[in-house]
Amino acid sequence: MTRRSGALSPGELAQASVIAALSAATAIIAVVVPFAAGLSLLATVPMGLLAYRYRLRVLLTATVAGAIIAFLIAGLGGFMTVINCAYIGGLTGIVKRRGRGTMTVFLSSLVAGAFFGVLVVTALAVLVRLRHLIFESVTANIDGVAAIIARVPNMQGFAETLKRDFATALDYWPYLFFASSVWSIAMVTLIGWWALSRVMSRLLTIPDVHKLESSADGETIAPVPTQLRDVRFRYPNSDHDALGPVSLNVEPGEHLAVTGANGSGKTTLMLMLSGREPTAGTIERPGSVGLGRPGGTAVIMQHPESQVLGTRVADDVVWGLPPGATTDIPKLLGEVGLDGLAERDTGGLSGGELQRLAVAAALAREPSLLIADEVTSMVDQDGRGALMEVLSGLTKHHDMSLVHITHYNDEADVADRTVNLTGNGGVADNTEMVETASAPAATVTAAHHSDKALLELKGVDHEYGSGTPWAATALRDITFTVNEGDGLLIHGLNGSGKSTLAWIMAGLTVPTAGSCLLDGAPVSDQVGAVAISFQAARLQLMRGRVDLEIASAAGFSPRDRRRVGKALATVGLDSGLAKRRIDQLSGGQMRRVVLAGLLAREPRALILDEPLAGLDAASQRGLLRLLGDLRRNSGLTLVIISHDFSGLEEVCPRTLHLQDGVLAPAPTAAGGRS
Amino acid sequence: MTAPTANQRQRRQVVLLRPVPGNSVVHRLWAGTKLLMVAAIGILMTFYPGWVPIAAVAVLVLVAARVARIPRGVLPSIPGWLWILVFFGGLTATFAGGSPVIDFGSVEVGLGGLFKFLRITALSIVLLGLGAMVSWTTNVAEIAPAVAKLGRPLRALRIPVDEWAVALALALRAFPMLIDEFRVLYAARRLRPKDVASTRRGRFRNAWIELIDLLAAAVVVALRRADEMGDAITARGGAGQISASPSGPKAIDWWALAIVIVVCGTALALELTILGTSGVTG
Repeated sequence: MTRRSGALSPGELAQASVIAALSAATAIIAVVVPFAAGLSLLATVPMGLLAYRYRLRVLLTATVAGAIIAFLIAGLGGFMTVINCAYIGGLTGIVKRRGRGTMTVFLSSLVAGAFFGVLVVTALAVLVRLRHLIFESVTANIDGVAAIIARVPNMQGFAETLKRDFATALDYWPYLFFASSVWSIAMVTLIGWWALSRVMSRLLTIPDVHKLESSADGETIAPVPTQLRDVRFRYPNSDHDALGPVSLNVEPGEHLAVTGANGSGKTTLMLMLSGREPTAGTIERPGSVGLGRPGGTAVIMQHPESQVLGTRVADDVVWGLPPGATTDIPKLLGEVGLDGLAERDTGGLSGGELQRLAVAAALAREPSLLIADEVTSMVDQDGRGALMEVLSGLTKHHDMSLVHITHYNDEADVADRTVNLTGNGGVADNTEMVETASAPAATVTAAHHSDKALLELKGVDHEYGSGTPWAATALRDITFTVNEGDGLLIHGLNGSGKSTLAWIMAGLTVPTAGSCLLDGAPVSDQVGAVAISFQAARLQLMRGRVDLEIASAAGFSPRDRRRVGKALATVGLDSGLAKRRIDQLSGGQMRRVVLAGLLAREPRALILDEPLAGLDAASQRGLLRLLGDLRRNSGLTLVIISHDFSGLEEVCPRTLHLQDGVLAPAPTAAGGRS
Repeated sequence: MTAPTANQRQRRQVVLLRPVPGNSVVHRLWAGTKLLMVAAIGILMTFYPGWVPIAAVAVLVLVAARVARIPRGVLPSIPGWLWILVFFGGLTATFAGGSPVIDFGSVEVGLGGLFKFLRITALSIVLLGLGAMVSWTTNVAEIAPAVAKLGRPLRALRIPVDEWAVALALALRAFPMLIDEFRVLYAARRLRPKDVASTRRGRFRNAWIELIDLLAAAVVVALRRADEMGDAITARGGAGQISASPSGPKAIDWWALAIVIVVCGTALALELTILGTSGVTG
């Protein structure tokens, strides 16, 4: 949190943008959804947090961006809500940063309210006609109410008073508006202050996932050949090395694969190559790293969505290039197999397409060194093939070195050379590599389940945005049955409608046609009876601590240690984890805690959306073993939705393929099951 | 249980920040022109909210919607309570009476109050429609470059317009992702068992705690998103270009501006001379 001046750093820019989007979203909900106006009280918190953590310039940037978005969607009301939230949030955040208390906030809110009141009164004084229209319109409403009341016997007096008092109040409007401004700003500030303090006490433990650092570049940019000698790296506040000691070379024009399990320091190696200083050892380069600069180093990371910065494909390719630089966009897109998609919205691309777009954006900088860090781990099977084809051709067509960090064996095979990171005291069990499994044929033969139908989908169609010009069909005529004790894998690529299907089966979405029945009644009337674990586990963890989370999800008291312990044991977690804060958990642990909370409610069935995404090999196998045990031993009905197969076929003996919203080839529609 | 009723089922979903597909003249206008027009008309309407300007702008909006082939389906469903609210507003305002007075045989009804109420309602609708036209006909990717170009004069005042435009572009990129995350958050909330506190005070307290928890979860997710985005920006070597295609007005934009100026100018002239309705009446 160092104070800096001048243009915003990449981190500050990103924080301002995301908080702008967050506060715009809250403001829009507060304006559009009736009776949600109270929500705008909480919209001060993100802005307050921004003001607390960064300088005023960041807050100002976020305010402008958020206000414009809110204006585009919700008009002037949204615009004013964002401005107000920034005004009040900024006040609380700055007071918090200065380390002052409630009294300071209260006093400064009075000053801020007075200032705001003067603004409001001045605006209304200038807008004479609008003021009169508003006043006369409200007066008409009040007079009308008075006229109606006057017809009630013995109420004439009250009606007269109402009419007269309102007229008197309007005569003194400047004082009225001033006083109500001061009062409301002070109230909202105090509520915002309280909420900010509460949220901040929860946020203390968020690990900093920010990794890359802008490189300080010298005269010449020349990242290769790079020579690492006995390089070690230790993160601040850590008691062990995350990497090393490692010695390796990256030669010009070579395709180097780096393999190793999670925890062996693969990503840390990426940081070293992209310009972070090692804690020990030396890194030699002929020039400077030039991260993101023409002829320098380019990095492609794991998450497809978050590294795409443009809303249109062509915009993303040029994003961040120096002004005036010209780029042959069609040629670049052609090279990565995205021909003709230049005008498409990036929001509609699949994970694999997004990653190839990231390659195109990297190539626009004609880098000497391209680092691809686990780029295929969140991409479906087809996408993985296309992406690997693009990557493996790069060193042949360009004068560059490629360092490909991966935990897939077959991906390392296409490289000129492979380096295996053994890790520093890593678990032996952890070092195995993942083999990508091929798709098993669709099956209907289930090994052992009862014939009692649990979930029945009959002719389910779903269309998003029905009746609007944006209508899009997600599912068509889906019919199948899940029996009690079943293990069903629904396999489909990105955009096949599988997540929509999961939401329908959990009752969260009502299909536009057809029905989804649980025990004969619509599942949408029984939300919660079918448990669902979303792909983003973190979104499902709402409380700050593991025991509170499980208790809240399952509906028992957090003081009931026995049940918390039992729930944790069900998913193979130690009860010592109960007091751990949520944000200190690993990805695999988070998923298990979600499952613990869901299973403690004894759901009729459990749906898992992409349960293996983002987990390393060992956690994946552990989770699969757990799911298999749960199904076998406690008869849990499991529906897994995935683009992957690795190991899932053992847990789920039955497979359905979903393609473009239809079941293909429909194996269960025949109804010929024994 | 939050069972969606038949009513909810039929309600149209709100689609945010996606233009109506098409390539009409209105779609092809530079985003900056549309923003300028909306700003100018908005200022006109707040200063002179008379019937003539309201009608003139309403005609402009309707003609533009016609030209852009905006189907009726874009309108969100209007909830019943809003109709009821408008009805009661109109009813009470009618009882206030006032000129003009219309004779319905034996009953004399003063419509002055009702007209005031209708005027302010019409004003709100027209202003909303004006903004909506921009969202319905403009690709989000064009907005940030247009803001950068429109704000160029402000650079002389050392205002970091380009930085704002970059942040706006990134925020527009992050917005749908955050909305998706909110959807999941809300769904996860629905899956949970309901509150168990027995006293009203306990329930109130729990509701607040839960709101804070939800907010904290949303903020954590947003901060992660921001950290990743920061890395992505760093990997591109910092901010620079945000758009692949040049952004600026073309011949058609000047024509559109001319039409708007003529229509609004005429309406303003009429309002200030012979057809004034927003003047201050006793």
